[in-house]
Amino acid sequence: MIQKIAAFQTTNFKINAKTLLRRRESGILMVLVLVSVATTLINPRFISGYGLSDLLLNTSMVGCLAVGLTPVVIARHIDLSIASATGFSAFLTAHIIVGHGWGVVPAFFVGACVGAIIGAVNGVLVAGLRLPSLVVTLGALYIIRGIDYQFANNKQFTAEKLPTDLMHLSQDKIYGVPYLFCLVLLLALFGVWWMRFTRFGRDLYAIGSNPPAADIVGIKVFSRTFFAFVWCGTLAGIAGVMYLSIYAIVDSAAFLNQELIVVTAVVIGGVNIFGGLGTIVGALLGAVLLRVLIGALVALGVAQFWQQAINGLLLLIAIGIDRILSRRSETKIERIRDERKMEIS
Amino acid sequence: MAQASKATTSRALFEILGAYKHFGGAIALNHADFTLRAGEIHALLGENGAGKSTLLKVLAGVHTLDGGTITLDGKPFIQGSPRMAMSQGVTVIYQEPSLFPDLTLAENVFIGRQLRNKTGINWSEMRAQAKALFDELGVDLDPSRIARGLSIADQQVVEIAKALSLDAQIILMDEPTAALTKSEVNRLMLVMRRLQEKGKSVVFVSHRLDEVFAVCDQITVMRDGSTVAQSKVSDSTINDVIKWMVGRELKDLYPKMESKIGDVALEVNGLSSASEFANISLKVRHGEIVALAGLVGSGRSEVARAIFGIDSYDSGSVKLNGKILPGGKPGISVASGLALVPEDRRQQGLFMQASVSRNIATEMLDKLAKFGLVSQRSENSLTQEWGKKLQIKYPNPKAPVDQLSGGNQQKTVLAKWFATNPDVLIVDEPTRGIDVQTKAEFHRQLSQAAASGKAILMISSELPEVLGMADRIYVMHEGRLVKELSRKDATQELIMTAATGQGRGES
Repeated sequence: MIQKIAAFQTTNFKINAKTLLRRRESGILMVLVLVSVATTLINPRFISGYGLSDLLLNTSMVGCLAVGLTPVVIARHIDLSIASATGFSAFLTAHIIVGHGWGVVPAFFVGACVGAIIGAVNGVLVAGLRLPSLVVTLGALYIIRGIDYQFANNKQFTAEKLPTDLMHLSQDKIYGVPYLFCLVLLLALFGVWWMRFTRFGRDLYAIGSNPPAADIVGIKVFSRTFFAFVWCGTLAGIAGVMYLSIYAIVDSAAFLNQELIVVTAVVIGGVNIFGGLGTIVGALLGAVLLRVLIGALVALGVAQFWQQAINGLLLLIAIGIDRILSRRSETKIERIRDERKMEIS
Repeated sequence: MAQASKATTSRALFEILGAYKHFGGAIALNHADFTLRAGEIHALLGENGAGKSTLLKVLAGVHTLDGGTITLDGKPFIQGSPRMAMSQGVTVIYQEPSLFPDLTLAENVFIGRQLRNKTGINWSEMRAQAKALFDELGVDLDPSRIARGLSIADQQVVEIAKALSLDAQIILMDEPTAALTKSEVNRLMLVMRRLQEKGKSVVFVSHRLDEVFAVCDQITVMRDGSTVAQSKVSDSTINDVIKWMVGRELKDLYPKMESKIGDVALEVNGLSSASEFANISLKVRHGEIVALAGLVGSGRSEVARAIFGIDSYDSGSVKLNGKILPGGKPGISVASGLALVPEDRRQQGLFMQASVSRNIATEMLDKLAKFGLVSQRSENSLTQEWGKKLQIKYPNPKAPVDQLSGGNQQKTVLAKWFATNPDVLIVDEPTRGIDVQTKAEFHRQLSQAAASGKAILMISSELPEVLGMADRIYVMHEGRLVKELSRKDATQELIMTAATGQGRGES
């Protein structure tokens, strides 16, 4: 059993058919394929070419946020302010670029900066003052949304005012993959390298795995945690610009109450909510799976209420599986301890 | 012998002279001297509270001395920072290492300084090097498995491999064998010898003298914060070491007093609980100490918990002074005069964050209360009374019990129950992990309690303790009482045969 879990959780990238099969990512991929095939059989329109690009476009925002949130969760923290940051970034970016007549690239730059600032504030409070991230970012969730309301003051920006390039961006695709999703893939690719092949990323795993030990071995807990929040905020800011492009309208209620969808995606993707475990690839797959499920439920004509309930169920199942696996390894450890005690006496 | 003499002629690495350190009013180190030479395995011995942990922590960079000098290889040793200690070649292996459970062993070895190439972390190289380190130590561990689920012994090996990869010259081991099985201890000793062959010096703290004599070259014994003896292992005997440690002869241990044995205080009849134990019948009289011996896992603690009412039982009865106790109601048991000092004081016996006085007053709140309120003064006076009687060492009554040494914590649990003036006291492994001196005091307290007419049921895995303290001995094996022995008939052999299930036919 222990070996099995080791295979599940190890960050070993050696190509090995057995380990590959046991990896969490493979499991999600299998569920993904299963759901897609089953739904297509019932409703053939579900996975036509158009449906697939649409699906990826619709996953872009949550995917981007999931990629952003993953390092934070791996470091045993949470950022609940992401949806507020996304909404605020969308409105503020619209305000700034419309005022200056700017295009796509400056828009993303502005959005990223807005998000980075929010992330930095969260980061200082959590990493610097060592306040619990749950409380800090819950506060930030309301404060940012409040500022958003104040600032927007019932105004909204619509497609006529927003730059046309930006509006087109959400329609453009390469080989059927929307540009926006390509951007997410690029960010994810960087994230994968960062989390797996730099000391910075590994330190985040260490911090989430055993916080006191991270202090003892001299890991720079402050700067690591701080930048994880900045990364998360930055991607939330970028997601805000994606929002502009996709919905072509923004007001102060943009992306309201969507933070828990992101958390759900990350957790379904195999990132342990208690830190130390999980990958960006997994989180992204989790986001796709969530979207596919929603699509499937719509295609099957399931009512809105049940869609949400099924999301929740999926979350519970994902966490349940994690718990059962780790509980089994714990019982095993206890048994070993008992045997040892017997031997001593 | 040859090894030992070689060690004494090699150059001195650590030289500590007149080390002095106090924490508030408590003096932890009082002019302690210590010399560690290159390539030796050096045992640092002493009872709990003798100052060896403090000394080790100074060397590890956790504490800074208030007085005295430390030189390392002739140069002054820079104190007060674990990182600095490490960069001066000193590492500590703690009793329970804190690895990163989700990371692979290879990464645990190289944490914070992972090997890199142009594109980032070089995983295959890191695995290979970790594997090489494990091989060097003669231990078969898979570097690409995660640390979660690793035995403590293996975790220590990972820490030692890490020390090697850091090129540590001095490895401090703080009671590494306390939680290991015999075979794991043997393996650790082999690892220690490997380290010695590589020219490393090892400081080994252990309470098990047989281990010390099996593997060490040199001994330093501490008592009350001072160094009382420095000797080659080959020049001393276990008895010498014990004398140095306690400062007096062993016969002072187990101060069994004569007491008048009276009526039956606790009577257990046919107590059974599915899968835990079956048909347990025993009696404990006033003034009597009765031991419940057996192997760990034979069901002794479960019986104690059932008698006290923490767990319920399926059939049988428990009578206290002739009155039947309802099962599963510890509150009623306490009110009827029963007390239980549990096996695990940290988890079950104490509120670790709460103060000494809070803990001692826990069971007395109703009696201390005036108009429903308990004053701190009444708690403190209770604490002073029992602290004095049991000689508990605590900085002040408000200090969290967490800060006390293991022995004093155990005395605090005892004080809590003595304060309720119970008729029957059940003590479960009362002296586990307590130093010799405190043990003796603890035994004296139990003896006195018995002499004053209390009935004591003592669960113990330590045969000398059982033989030294008990008037009568019950032996348990796999959930059943298999033997009853009187004080004069009991021998270690008889108890062990019964406990291991070999004497079953006779009883």
